[in-house]
Amino acid sequence: MTTQVYAQGRTRNQAGRKGLLVTPERCTACRGCQTACKEWNHLLAEKTVNWGTYENPPDLTSNLYNKIRFVEVTGNKDIDWLFISRRCVHCGDAGCMEICPSPGALYRTREGIVAYDRDKCIGCKLCQAGCPFDIPRYDADDRVTKCHLCDDRVPHGLEPACSKVCPTDAIRYGDWQSLIAQAKEEGYQTVYGEKDLAGLGILYAFKEKPEYYGFDSTPGIPASVAFWKGVLKPLSLLGLGASVGAALVHYVTIGPKEDEESEGGAA
Amino acid sequence: MMKMVQKATPWERFNHWVLLLSFFVLTLTGLGFLYNSLSWINTAFGGVHLARGIHNWAGIIFAASLVLTMANYLGESLKFGSDDFAWLGQLGGYLSGREAPPQGKLNAGQKLFYLLVLVAGLVICASGLILWMGAAQGTMQLVHLLHNLAFLILVIVVPFHVYAATALNPGTFRIMTRGTVPLKWAKKHHPKWVKELGLE
Ligand code: SF4
Ligand code: SF4
Repeated sequence: MTTQVYAQGRTRNQAGRKGLLVTPERCTACRGCQTACKEWNHLLAEKTVNWGTYENPPDLTSNLYNKIRFVEVTGNKDIDWLFISRRCVHCGDAGCMEICPSPGALYRTREGIVAYDRDKCIGCKLCQAGCPFDIPRYDADDRVTKCHLCDDRVPHGLEPACSKVCPTDAIRYGDWQSLIAQAKEEGYQTVYGEKDLAGLGILYAFKEKPEYYGFDSTPGIPASVAFWKGVLKPLSLLGLGASVGAALVHYVTIGPKEDEESEGGAA
Repeated sequence: MMKMVQKATPWERFNHWVLLLSFFVLTLTGLGFLYNSLSWINTAFGGVHLARGIHNWAGIIFAASLVLTMANYLGESLKFGSDDFAWLGQLGGYLSGREAPPQGKLNAGQKLFYLLVLVAGLVICASGLILWMGAAQGTMQLVHLLHNLAFLILVIVVPFHVYAATALNPGTFRIMTRGTVPLKWAKKHHPKWVKELGLE
């Protein structure tokens, strides 16, 4: 981990950061990425049922790190059928990492990936509570699983499995800053993930407002987690220290209650 | 032989030691989980996985012990009279050195401390159990917050209790070891209790 770039796991400088640019308009819902991800990560297929949509499985699982959401938007316009990749977006300021009690279970790579070490995960499931996007899922041993942006490919100069197979360039891999420039060049005024949470590793080129695609337009670390991190956590050690300190100061200044007549009772 | 009075039964002392030791283990492992810079504590507990198991099971022991303390201290702690308020008003005379108003079996500070520990303790146990069992995202966020809030209260008040029971009031600690105190000491610290016992 390069310390100048990532102070305490937070992204402070975007140089060297890698990412994906997701462009829903280009997606044909072939789900090649969903399959390639499962293939590369050796994830088993899941039995699904017809629940009235082609979208399946219905949610991310410990066997599904990347899924294409099918969103039908009906309004005054024609029906809009949107296909959007849902997965960990590799927040520059990651709630999962903030809350994790096991150092190194979640960590940031030099490329800005929020990766995880299965052996260090203690299965407390707090990372899900800290995630603004409800991403982490847990395997049979309660260990964390999620998209790791192919941290077993990217450092070796290979692109992630999903972007590699995408036939329409709906998922493109590259230098994070260049991807933003690219999206702007293509006419996307605002790139989702450019600003919030110190930048999201997965950038979305949206034509409409984020809500249209089912995204929060102002994503942030959950308020309770931010309060815990900013107030309760620092106060805990401070409180303990202050309290012990106050007792010591009292002892050496004002001193104990000496009972001359009952001194004999001192154990 | 000095005349002695029993302040704590053997069971009461045993249970207090269980509470104390489990609290100590929980605080240490908890600090190891809370601060990356203190994670070496959990390494010392045999690694983060074992530390999690120790933390959770020590929590069960702490919870059981805490519930059992209610039989010993809750009734007494809820008896709050004018002498208790007066005692709190002058902080037991610990700052001024003045004589504090006469107290019962527990002084007002001990009563208040017990009630705080009981409430914070029950909150930390219940939230800990939910964290352990897992819950929906919103619930996890809430109990995670409550767990740490209760921890904050406990780490602030417990050191004062330890100080008050040891260096601040010589002679008090033998309640934890022998359970008895000299009658003279009892008359000085808990005169209303001695009166209740009819030992005056
Ligand atoms: S999307 Fe969730 S799991 Fe992924 S980095 Fe952000 S907080 Fe962590
Ligand atoms: S489940 Fe694992 S990765 Fe997630 S917060 Fe707990 S220890 Fe960290």
